Amino acid sequence: MSRDDNPNATLGEQGDVIEAGLDVQLSRELAALRDHLVAAYPELEVLGFRGELTLIAAPERVVELLRFCRDDETVRCELLADLSGVHWPGGTIEASAQETTGWPTYAEEREGRIEIDYLLRSVAHGHAFRVRTSVGDDAPRLATATAVYAAADLMEREVYDFFGVAFDGHPDLTRVLMPDDWDGHPHRKDYPLGGVEVDFKGATIPPPDERSY
Amino acid sequence: MSDLQRPPASGAAWADESDRDRAPARPREHTVVGGDWQELPNVVDDDLMIINMGPQHPSTHGVLRLVLTLDGERILDTRPVIGYLHTGIEKNLEYRPWVQGVTFVTRMDYLAPLHNELAYCLAVEKLLGITGDIPERASALRVLLTEFNRVASHFVWLATGGMELGSTTAMIFGFRERETILDLFEEVSGLRMNHAFIRPGGIAMDLPDGFVPRARTAISALRDRIGEIEDLLTENPIWIERLTGVGLLTAAQCLDWGVTGPVLRSAGVAHDLRKVTPYCGIEQYDFHVPTTDTADAYGRYLIRMEEMRQSLTICEQVLDSLPEGAVMVADAKIAWPAQLALGPDGIGNAQEHIDRIMGKSMEALIHHFKLVTEGFTVPEGQVYAAIESPRGELGYHVTSSGTNKPYRVKVRDPSFLHIGVLPTMSHGLQVADIIVAVASVDPVMGGVDR
Repeated sequence: MSRDDNPNATLGEQGDVIEAGLDVQLSRELAALRDHLVAAYPELEVLGFRGELTLIAAPERVVELLRFCRDDETVRCELLADLSGVHWPGGTIEASAQETTGWPTYAEEREGRIEIDYLLRSVAHGHAFRVRTSVGDDAPRLATATAVYAAADLMEREVYDFFGVAFDGHPDLTRVLMPDDWDGHPHRKDYPLGGVEVDFKGATIPPPDERSY
Repeated sequence: MSDLQRPPASGAAWADESDRDRAPARPREHTVVGGDWQELPNVVDDDLMIINMGPQHPSTHGVLRLVLTLDGERILDTRPVIGYLHTGIEKNLEYRPWVQGVTFVTRMDYLAPLHNELAYCLAVEKLLGITGDIPERASALRVLLTEFNRVASHFVWLATGGMELGSTTAMIFGFRERETILDLFEEVSGLRMNHAFIRPGGIAMDLPDGFVPRARTAISALRDRIGEIEDLLTENPIWIERLTGVGLLTAAQCLDWGVTGPVLRSAGVAHDLRKVTPYCGIEQYDFHVPTTDTADAYGRYLIRMEEMRQSLTICEQVLDSLPEGAVMVADAKIAWPAQLALGPDGIGNAQEHIDRIMGKSMEALIHHFKLVTEGFTVPEGQVYAAIESPRGELGYHVTSSGTNKPYRVKVRDPSFLHIGVLPTMSHGLQVADIIVAVASVDPVMGGVDR
């Protein structure tokens, strides 16, 4: 069965893929939306992957862009569906270092950063896309989106709790899932995992990222 | 806590006006380490009272703590405190192969385990780029199981919500009918809850013999039972009195706070991801999305009852048009190598498969071993896959760095966002009504705290 007539294909694959390739792979609707947004904000970087549209914006312009996405008639994203973070630590990163795949190992120098993804969904038009920004992972700060979407309140608290990103102007930036007196931000990749002590001659089980098994 | 705010050692001394002036107008920070109740009498305004509801209150749906600011019986402010059930599932996923993630995510929203599994698997499949290769039978069975799960989850909502209002009949009915569905799940997957049955690439194993007629019997029995419950509650004056006009949330408020699911639909917005971004071929089944314009707890009750009927209709259509074929993707680099079967001691590897890898084919053994211990690698990238869970948009924001383990999995759980709207929803209500308001959004703390 070809991919075109499979009803299980995602929306992006179902619509005509007008630009195929590794970088941009969008349905007609999302491509039109991208053109509209890029016309309004020419500095946006565009990424398409698996039929999803991602717009990469500078951290200082994110709130303005979100407000535009909410208020503009064509975009009209009423819902902030998701707000999440990913930590990419700095230093020399060895990629694809798997013994068994035979892929080459290569090292890359990079700055530590935390990516913040805002997933916007339009109930009226039925589309969804992602706005991404990144901030340095050393004492990260970002303006709050709570004035645009009230839903950002809890989700920004979660990002603060897990990644330590301080959202300037947030009404009540406290921890939300970890205890109030917790040290550190557990979803950062530099957060120590800790091993488990075993009641047998002082043995310990090493933390998951140091295990050989 | 600064020394200024600490109450003096002698008990009666906090009536001292000068102490009171120095205290902040409203306490905004409460720690969970205990003892902070001592400072509360020192900072309340005249008649305002701060009451801690939960985390062990029987009618707060698990371990939800609400710090209520009360003027008499009227609620002026609600501060939800969550995290009591936080188990770091998202972090745990980062150190396990992709397939093992299913076993974790199924434990988040424990009333909709199959929805969690499905959303996670859809995200992994999207990253792998095999969304279009999932066999039709697997997709149909995924729809069947998740729609049955929706009915089961709504029954628990009815049971717990009814119990919180003192209607023990609703509780007994709800839990009893749910058993019918859990029996079906047990028959299919071996487990009543936390099935880990939907896997990346398909589902773990095919239906057992004779399942289809038994499922049909269950559907017709459930239809009768739903009718019975409706006879009991829909026109019941106490039920109407307690639910009508309570927990009001307009469509604009819902959208602003990211509230989806039955709560948004009770405000008249027919937003359902099964219609907006259909998954697993659910668009080929005929069903409608019920809405009301009352925007209150009673509307949400009506919607959930109708959703149960609609889900049963979908299940029936799936059983009518169940395609034949495999239930796991053909790509042997992804598909789970073992062929599961029911043995004398439960579900396990099929004897045939064990004979083959242990006695006949060394290559098959190596393949099995590598895929089971190491798993498959997933291309770099980030995707978001969302489905309509019984509570609203359940989304998985999954990032891969190109290895055999997820780099980051962020779960967008509807209950988590619904907790955020409780202050808005309960402002001005009586204390007894906040129970109804919380019950009407149906938060599941396993999903909230993750």
